[in-house]
Amino acid sequence: MSGKSLDNRRVQKFHWMSRFLSGWAIFRQSFLGKIGLTLLALFALMALCSFIPPLVDPMYQPMAGVDPEISTVTGPSTRHWLGTDFMGRDLLSQLLAGARVAFMVGVSAAFMSVFLGTAIGMIAGYMGKFADTLLMRLADIIMVMPALVVLLMLAALFGQLSIWFIVFFIALFRWPGVSRVIRAQTLSLKHRPFIEAARVAGASHLRIIFRHITPNVLPLSFLYMTFQVTSAIIIEAALAFLGFGDPRTISWGMMLQWVWKTGHMFNAPYWLLPPGICISLITLSFYMLGRAMDEVLDPRLRKEGQTD
Amino acid sequence: MSPTSSVTIESFLKGILCLAVAMLVLLFPGLSGTQSNAASCLKIGLPEDPRTLNIWLASDRNSRNILSQIYQPLYTRDPDTLKLVPWLAEQEPVFDAETLSYTVRIKPSKWSDGSELTSEDVAFTGRVIKDFRVPRLASRWNFIKRIETPDKHTVRFYLKEPKAIFLSRTLTTPIVQKKEWIKIVEKARGTEKPLIKLLNHKIEKPVGSGPFILKEWRQGCYLFLQKNKYFFGTGRRISGRILGPYIDSIIFKIYGTSDAAILALKKGSIDMFWWRIQAGYLQDLKTQKDIQIFSNEKSGLYYIGFNVRKPPFNDVNLRRAVATLIDKDFIISRILQGLAIKMNSIVPPGNQFWYCPEVPRYAEGLNREERIKKAYEILRKAGYTWQLPPVNGQGKVVKGKGIRLPNGQPMEKFTILTPPADYDPLRAMAGMIIQEWLGMVGIPASAKPMAIGSLIQQVKGRRQFDSFILGYGRLDIDPDWVRNFFHSSNDKPRGWNMSGYKNPDFDRIAEESASILDREKRRKLIWEMQKMILQDVPYIPLYNPRLIEAVRKDKFSGWVGTLGGIGNIWSFCEVRLN
Amino acid sequence: MELWIYTSRRLVQIVIIFFVILTVLFLLFRLAPGDPVSRMVDPNLTPEDAQLLIEELGLDQPVWIQYFYYLKNFLTGHFGFSFHYGRPVVQIIGDRLPNTILLFTTSIILSALVGIFLGKIASWHKGEKTDTCLTVGALVTHTVFLPWLALIMIWVFAYKLGWFPITGMISEEVWLDPDAGLWPKSVDILHHMVLPLTTLFLIHFGSYLLIMRTSMLETLREDYILTARAKGLPEKVIRNHHAAPNAALPVVTSVGLSLAFSINGGALTETVFTWPGIGRELVFSVSHNDYPLAQASFLLIAAVVLVSNLVVDILYAYLDPRIRY
Repeated sequence: MSGKSLDNRRVQKFHWMSRFLSGWAIFRQSFLGKIGLTLLALFALMALCSFIPPLVDPMYQPMAGVDPEISTVTGPSTRHWLGTDFMGRDLLSQLLAGARVAFMVGVSAAFMSVFLGTAIGMIAGYMGKFADTLLMRLADIIMVMPALVVLLMLAALFGQLSIWFIVFFIALFRWPGVSRVIRAQTLSLKHRPFIEAARVAGASHLRIIFRHITPNVLPLSFLYMTFQVTSAIIIEAALAFLGFGDPRTISWGMMLQWVWKTGHMFNAPYWLLPPGICISLITLSFYMLGRAMDEVLDPRLRKEGQTD
Repeated sequence: MSPTSSVTIESFLKGILCLAVAMLVLLFPGLSGTQSNAASCLKIGLPEDPRTLNIWLASDRNSRNILSQIYQPLYTRDPDTLKLVPWLAEQEPVFDAETLSYTVRIKPSKWSDGSELTSEDVAFTGRVIKDFRVPRLASRWNFIKRIETPDKHTVRFYLKEPKAIFLSRTLTTPIVQKKEWIKIVEKARGTEKPLIKLLNHKIEKPVGSGPFILKEWRQGCYLFLQKNKYFFGTGRRISGRILGPYIDSIIFKIYGTSDAAILALKKGSIDMFWWRIQAGYLQDLKTQKDIQIFSNEKSGLYYIGFNVRKPPFNDVNLRRAVATLIDKDFIISRILQGLAIKMNSIVPPGNQFWYCPEVPRYAEGLNREERIKKAYEILRKAGYTWQLPPVNGQGKVVKGKGIRLPNGQPMEKFTILTPPADYDPLRAMAGMIIQEWLGMVGIPASAKPMAIGSLIQQVKGRRQFDSFILGYGRLDIDPDWVRNFFHSSNDKPRGWNMSGYKNPDFDRIAEESASILDREKRRKLIWEMQKMILQDVPYIPLYNPRLIEAVRKDKFSGWVGTLGGIGNIWSFCEVRLN
Repeated sequence: MELWIYTSRRLVQIVIIFFVILTVLFLLFRLAPGDPVSRMVDPNLTPEDAQLLIEELGLDQPVWIQYFYYLKNFLTGHFGFSFHYGRPVVQIIGDRLPNTILLFTTSIILSALVGIFLGKIASWHKGEKTDTCLTVGALVTHTVFLPWLALIMIWVFAYKLGWFPITGMISEEVWLDPDAGLWPKSVDILHHMVLPLTTLFLIHFGSYLLIMRTSMLETLREDYILTARAKGLPEKVIRNHHAAPNAALPVVTSVGLSLAFSINGGALTETVFTWPGIGRELVFSVSHNDYPLAQASFLLIAAVVLVSNLVVDILYAYLDPRIRY
C-alpha cells in the first residue's frame, strides 16, 4: 500500500513537472502572455522602486512629505519628475507607492478569494447533498450582490474602511465564481477511477481532498487568481475614486480622487493621466496573463473568466 | 442540433435595440414646454437636485437656494452692514417693554397668485412652526406666547421672556401663504404623525412673495423660475438699492460634479455656479477673460474639539499644548491653498460686530521648533513626563517618546476623528497633519476619518471620543450659538455642547446674553464668552474657508457680495443684462 | 414540461434568496452607526427637534417592530417615504429607473451586437493580424478604468472639441421650448447619451468580442460544422448561419449578467456623467443614510439580477436544445 502510494506520488510529481514545462512552452508562444508578463515585471519594478524616493529626501514621502518650497500644483520638473499635487507632494513617489498598494490589494484579495472559493468549491463538490445545496445557495446570494455597491454601502455606513477590510470584503464577494468552477471540476473528478481507487483503499476524506483533488483543481484556481486580481484592483480603485477608500494609503484610485476632488482634473494632465493609465495597464497585464494561462490549461474550461 | 431551428440571436438582440430606441418615445412623453425668454434668462449651475420644495423639509443648501427666491422673511440683512433691514415689513418693529411685545407693520404686498399678503399669513406661519414643532425653526418661535393681528397689515408678537434672538432669528423666518397651507396643515394635524405628514407633503408649485416663481422642475435636470410680477420689491428702494428683478427668468441646471459645472461655466453654458470653487480651478478660471471671481468670507467655523469629560483632554494644559503645536498658518497655506482666514476666536472675524479680537492666542508666528519647545514647557510644568523628552539636555528638539500624564499613567493612544475624504478631503488631511505634529512631542494621536453620520453619532450621540475636527459653514450672524455650543445644559445626547465643557461662570454670562436686548451690552458679554472659551480651549478654532465663487461677466452684471457669498436675495434683485 | 418544473423551482429559490437579502439589508442598516438625523450638522437643529424627528420617522421603536413594518411595507409594495426627499420611494425610483434602463440596455445591446460581429471576424481570422489586433484592442478597451475613461471622454469630446454636452441628460433649451416636438427632444436625449453610451460601449464590447471569439472557435470544431463543410457549403454560409447563432449563446448569458454589472458600473458612470439614474441615486442615498431609498434601490438591483439570471437560464434552455433540466 505504501509503496503504491509512493509510486503514485512520483507519477504525479512527474506529471506536474511535465505539465508545467509543456505549459510554459505554450505560454512562451503566447503573444498576450509575453506582453502581460513584461508589463507586470515593469509594475513590480515600480513597486520596488517606491522605496527609493523617501530615502533620497524626506519630501518624497508619498503621504506626508511636502516640498518645502512648493505648496501648489506644479508641472513636471527636474525635482519632481511628474510634478506635485495640490499641497506640494511628489506625484512620482505617489505613483510608485500606488503600484505597491495595487499589488498588495490585488494579490491578497485574489489569494483570499481563490482560497475561499477553492475550499468551498471542493467541499461542496465532494460532500454533495446538504452541504452542497447550502454552500451553493450562499454563493448565489453573494453573487447577486454587486460587490462595488455593497462595499460602497458598507463604507458609507461604517465609516472609512481600512484597506485590509476592503481587501477582505472584496475576497468575500469574489469567491462564489471560483467555487462554482471548482465545484464542477471536483464533481467530475470525484468519479474518476483514481479517486474511487483511493477510496476503496480506505483513504480518509481529508486525504482524498488534499492528496488527490487539490492538486488537480489547483491549476484552475491559479488561473482564476489572475482574473480575481484584476477585479480586486478595479474595485479598490473605484471605491477610492468615489472617495470611500482608505485615506491612509496612497493608491492610484486615491490619486484620481484627489485630482478630481481638488478640482485639478482638467488643468493638470500630468496628475490625471498617470494613475489612470497605471490602473488600466495593470488590470490589462493581469488579464492578458490570465488569458495566456487559460490557453495553456484548457481553452474549453473558460466560460466565465470575465471580470467586471 | 440543426442550425436552422435556432433563433438567430443577432436578430433577437437587434429587436431589443429597436425596443430600447422606441422606449425613448414611450418613457419620455413630450411635455408642453414653458416659454423661456432666452434673452434675459440667467443660467445657474447647481451641484445637486434640491431636496424638496417643501419649505419645512428644506434643510439642504440647494433647496434653500431655490426657496430663498420664493419665500420671503419680514426682515433681512443688509449686504454691507449686516444690519437687519425691513423686507416684507414696513419699518423697524416697535417694542413695548410693558407687555413684552413687538409690533410689526407689513408692506402692502402680494403673493405670486395675486392675492394679498396679510398679517394673517404671518401669524399662520408662526402657529404652524410652533404647533408642529418644525425642526430648526421651533426653537426660534417657542418663546412666543401669542400672536395677534390687529389689522390686515399689523402683527403683534407677545413674548414669554425677553429674547435677544427674536429680532435676528424669529423675524427672519420666511413667511408662507395661509391659503396654500391651511388645508395641508389641517389634514396633517389629524394624523398620527403630523410633523412627518407636513414635511412629506409634496409641493409642486410653491406660492411665494419673492422675486421669482417656480415654473417647472425636471428632476435631476433643471429648474425653471420666472419673474414674479407681483413681487413687492420691484422698483422699490431698500438699503439704497432699487430692486428688480431685472431678468425675466432663471434656469438652475443640475451638474452633479464641480468639474462639469465649471467646464460649463467656462464654455458659457451657465452664467454662475452656485457653489464653492475649489482651489484647483481657481488658477485656470482667473486667466479666463469672461470670468469674474468673487471671494467672500463665510460665517463659518472649522475647529478641532476635545472631549473634556475624560482623560487625557480633561486637562486644560494638554489642550493648550495642542493649541500651541497646531500651526494654523501651515494648514491654511498648504492644505487650503490660502483660501481661508485664520480663526483666532470662535466667532469669525467677518462678523465684525460680534467678533472679539482680544482673545488669548497660542504660539502666534512661531516656527515648528519653537512651538515644540513651548508646548514642552507647558506640559512639563503641568507634570507630564517622558521616557525621551522632545527637547533634550542640550535644548535640541528630538522626537519625543513615552509621554506620561501628571498622575504617572502613560498617555494612551487617542484618535482625532475627521470627516472622510469624500465629504471634505481638507479636514481629513488636516487631521493627518495634526497627528504628525502631536507625534513629534510624543503625544500619541491618530487621525481617523469616519463617515460623517457615524462621526456625529459618536461625538454628539454616544459622546465616546477623544477629539474631532468638524466645521460649520453657515453659522448665523447672531452669535447666540456661542451660548448653545458651550452651555453646560447642552451637554446631553444630541446636545450642542459636544466637548462637554462645564463652566458655571460661562453659563451665567451666556444666560444673561440670551435675554439682554441692548446690543452694545450684549456684545460685551459675547466678547467675554469668547475669551473664556479661548482660555479653556474646549475647541481650538482653526480656520474659516473663504467662499470663492465664479460668474461670467459677459452677459450679466450686478452681483452683490456679502458674508456668505454672492448667492443672496440682493444679487437676484440686482443682476441685469449688460 | 421539465422546463416548467425547473422554472418554478428556481422561482421558489429566488423568493428565499430575496428574503435573505431583505433581512440582511435591514440588519446592515440598523447595525450601522448613525441615523438620518445624526447626519445633520445644522446648528439650528435642537436635541428636541432631533428627538421629535426620530420619533416621527419611527426610528425610536424596537428593531423587531421596525423590521415588521419593513416587511409589511415591502409586501404591500409600499416602500415608505424617502428620509431625504420626503417623497414616496416608489416615485423616486420610478423617476430614475427609466433613465438607467435606457442608457444601459442600449449600451449593452449595442456592444453585444458589435462584439458578436467582431468576435466572428476575429475567430475566422484566428492567428492572423486581424485577430491579434481585435483581441488586443478588445482587451485594452475592456480593462480601461471606467471613471477615468469617462473623464477623458468628457475632457476631449465635450470640453476640448465641444461636440457633446458635458453632462446631464437633457438640455433645457430644447425642453423649455414650447415648439419642440417629440423628435427634437428625442434627438436631444440621444445627443446627451452619446458620451456615456460610448464609454460603456468601449468597456463592454471587448468582453463580448472575446466570448464570441472563443465560443465560435469551439463551435467550429463541432461535428455538425464538419458535416456542413463536408457537404460543400460555402464557408460564409457555414459561418453566418450554422456556427454564429450557436456560438452567440454564451453572449446571451453574458448580456444577462451584464445587467447586474450595469448597476454596479452604473454607480460610476452615472456619477461621472450626472446621469439621473438609479446608480447615482443609490450612492447618494447610501451616503445620506436615507434607509428607505437605499434599501429599495438595492432590493431592486438584487431583484433585477436574480430575475435576469433566471431569464438567461430559461432562454438558454429554450435556445439550446442540448441543455435540459
